[in-house]
Amino acid sequence: MTSLRRFLIISVLSALMLVNFIAALHGYRSSMLEAENLFDQKLSEMAAQFAAMPLPNVESPPSADDEQMVFQIFSGEGKLLWRSVHAPAQIISEVPGFGEHNFNDYRWRTLSYLNPNSGRRVVVAERVDQRYRLAESVILESVVPVVLVLPVAGILIWLIIGHGLSSLGVLAGILRRKSPDDFGAIRVDGAPVELLPVIQSVNSMLSRLSASFERERRFSADAAHELRTPISAIKMHLHNVRDELPNGSDSLRSLTKDVDRLAHLVEQMLLLHRTTPDHYPAKFEKISLRSLARDAIAERYADCAAKQQTIELAGDAVTVDGDRFALGILLQNLVNNASKYTQQGGRIELRTEVKTSEVWLTVADNGPGISAEAKSRVFERFYRLGGDRHSSGASGCGLGLSIVEHIAELHGAKIVMKSGLQSRGLAVSIVFPASLRSDKALTPNAKAKKALGTSREGEQA
Amino acid sequence: MLLTSVVIIIREVLEAALLVSILLSMCRQLSVRQGWFKWGALAGLLGAVGYGQQMGSISSAMGGVGQELSDAGIQLLIYLCLLYSCQKLVFHFNHRQPLNTTLFVAMAVAIALAVIREGSEIYIYLSAFHGNQESRLGLYSGAVIGLGIGFSFCALFYYWLLSFRPRRAVFFGSMLLTLVAGGMILQGCKMLIQADYLPDGQAWDSSSFLPEDGLPGQLLYAMVGYEATPAPAQVAIYVFAIAAMLTTLTLRYRAGLKAASPIEQ
Repeated sequence: MTSLRRFLIISVLSALMLVNFIAALHGYRSSMLEAENLFDQKLSEMAAQFAAMPLPNVESPPSADDEQMVFQIFSGEGKLLWRSVHAPAQIISEVPGFGEHNFNDYRWRTLSYLNPNSGRRVVVAERVDQRYRLAESVILESVVPVVLVLPVAGILIWLIIGHGLSSLGVLAGILRRKSPDDFGAIRVDGAPVELLPVIQSVNSMLSRLSASFERERRFSADAAHELRTPISAIKMHLHNVRDELPNGSDSLRSLTKDVDRLAHLVEQMLLLHRTTPDHYPAKFEKISLRSLARDAIAERYADCAAKQQTIELAGDAVTVDGDRFALGILLQNLVNNASKYTQQGGRIELRTEVKTSEVWLTVADNGPGISAEAKSRVFERFYRLGGDRHSSGASGCGLGLSIVEHIAELHGAKIVMKSGLQSRGLAVSIVFPASLRSDKALTPNAKAKKALGTSREGEQA
Repeated sequence: MLLTSVVIIIREVLEAALLVSILLSMCRQLSVRQGWFKWGALAGLLGAVGYGQQMGSISSAMGGVGQELSDAGIQLLIYLCLLYSCQKLVFHFNHRQPLNTTLFVAMAVAIALAVIREGSEIYIYLSAFHGNQESRLGLYSGAVIGLGIGFSFCALFYYWLLSFRPRRAVFFGSMLLTLVAGGMILQGCKMLIQADYLPDGQAWDSSSFLPEDGLPGQLLYAMVGYEATPAPAQVAIYVFAIAAMLTTLTLRYRAGLKAASPIEQ
C-alpha cells in the first residue's frame, strides 16, 4: 500500500538534503579556495616585509619555536643572510612565485620573492597541512550546522506534511463513520481547493446512490403488490376449480403445490429484501423472546401436527431490545426449517436462556442434521440442502437462513450451529450480545446498530 | 578531510544504494513483497562491521591476496544472485504466479553482500581516521554529507523508477540491473588481476576524456563499475557476463509470455 505521507516526507527530505549538502560542499570548496588565497596573501606580505626590513647581525631569529612557517633571506649574490631555525640551509625555491615543496618531512607552500631594488631574495614557506587544517576548522563551523539542522528539518517536514494531509484524514474519518443507510452529503470544514473535487464527486455519488436505493425500495413495494395480487387471484381460482372437480386431478394438485411454492418464494424474496440491515427501518423495543417463541410455535403448530412432530418451549423468560417484526420472521423461518427437515414424529425444541450474560435463542431438532460442508453454505441465497432431492422431500426456496442472517446482523447477534437434540439433528442458536439484554440493563437502540457485524460459528458436537 | 570523506562515502553508498533502489522499485512495480529488504540490509550492516574488523586477517590469508579473492567472490555471488532474481522478476511480469522463497532469499543475499562489500570499506575508512582528534569533525561531517547525498540520490532515483509504467519500468530496471551486475563482474576481475589470478594489461585508456576521479567517472563507477584503463581479460569477461544476462532475460521474458498466453488446441 502506497503511503502518500511517506512518499512526500522521503522525497521532500531527500531533495532538501541533496540540494543542501551539495550547496554546503560548494560553499566548503569556495571557502577553502578563499582561505588559500588569504594564506597566500599573508605569505606575500611577510615576504615583502622580510625583503624591506634591515637585517639584524645574527644568523637566526631569537625565537625559533615556530615550526609551521620558515623563511630564508639571500643576498643578490645568493649568499644566505638570515633564516629561521627550521629552514634548510639550501634555498628552497629559486623560481619566483608560489609553489609547493617537500622538506623537514612535510609539504610546504612556498613563495620566492626577489626584491628588485635591493636585489635581495626572500623565500617564505608555510606547512600545507597546517594551512589546510586551520582553514577547514574555520569553514567547518559553517558546514556543521547544515548537517546538524537536518533532523530538525525532518521533524518540521513531517509535521507540515501531516498538517497538509490532515483534511484527507478528516475526509477518511467522515466516510468511515458514515452508517450504511446515511446518504447525506459530507462536509469537511476548511477543506483545501485540491480536495473539493473529491468531496463534490463523493457527494454526487451519494446522492445518486440514495436515489437508486429509493427507486429499488419503491420497485420492491410495487413488485410485492403486483405479484401478490395475481398470485392470490390464481389461488382463489384454483380453489374454485378444486370445488368444481370433486375428484381432483394430479395436474391440479401439482399446480396447487407450485402456486403455493411461488407464493412462498415471492414472500421470502420480499422479506429478504426488507430485512437487509443497510436499509431496514428497525424499531427496537423491549421484547420477551419467550412470548415471541410461543407465537412462532402457535403459527407453525399446524405444520408440526401434520407431521406428528413434538414441539416444545424450554428455558428462561428473557427480554431483549429488538425489532418485533424481524425477530418474529427469524423465529418462523427457523421453526419452519426445523419442521420441514425433521422426519415424521420428530422432536423440535425452542429454548431461550442467558449464558455468560449473552442471550441465546436456540431452535433444535432431532432430524438428519447437516454436514460440516453444508454448514458453511446454508447462508448462501437459494442454497438448498441436497437441492430438490433432499431426503425429507421438503420444498423450499433456499432463502430462509439468508433472512435469518440479515436479522441477526441487524441485532448485532451471531449465529452458532451445533448438533441438535440427543446429539442428533441441528441446533441453530442466535446469540444476542449482552448489550441487548433489556431485563438486565436498558440499553439504547443505537447500541445494537453499533454492534459488530454478524459472525457465524459452526461446531461439531 | 571533509571533501575526501564525502567522495569516498558517496562512492561506496551509491554502489549499494543504487542496487537497492532498482530491486525495490522492480518489486513494487510487480507487486512483489519487499519485506526481504530489511533482513538483507540488517545482515549486510552486521556483516560489514564483522568483515571490516577481520580485514587484517583476511588480507594476509592465502599468500596475502585473501582480501582480493574474498572481494572477487562476493562480487561474483552478487552477479549470480542478480541474474537469478532478475530473470525471475522478468518472467513474473508476464506470468503472475506465487513466487517462491528462493527469489526473496536471492534478493536479500544480493543486498546483504553489496552492503557488506561497501559498508566494510566505509567502516575501515572511518575507523582508520577516527583516532585523529584534529580531523575527526571533518571526517564525520564528510561521512554524514556523503551518506546524505548517496541516500537522497537513491531515494529520488527509486521514486523516479516508480513513475514509469510497469512494462517500461521492468525493461529499464532489468537493463540497469544487468549493467550493475556487469559492473560487479568488472570489479571482481580487477581483484583477480590484483591477485595475479588473471592477466593484466590495458585494453584502452579513456582517462583523458572521462577520468575515474571526476564526478561522471565516479557515478559511472558506482553504476556500472567504470574503469578508464581496463585489462583485456576484464573486458572479455564483462562482455560475456552482460551477454549471458541479456540472453537469459530475453529467454525468460519470452517464456513468461508463452506461459501467460492461452494454449490453443
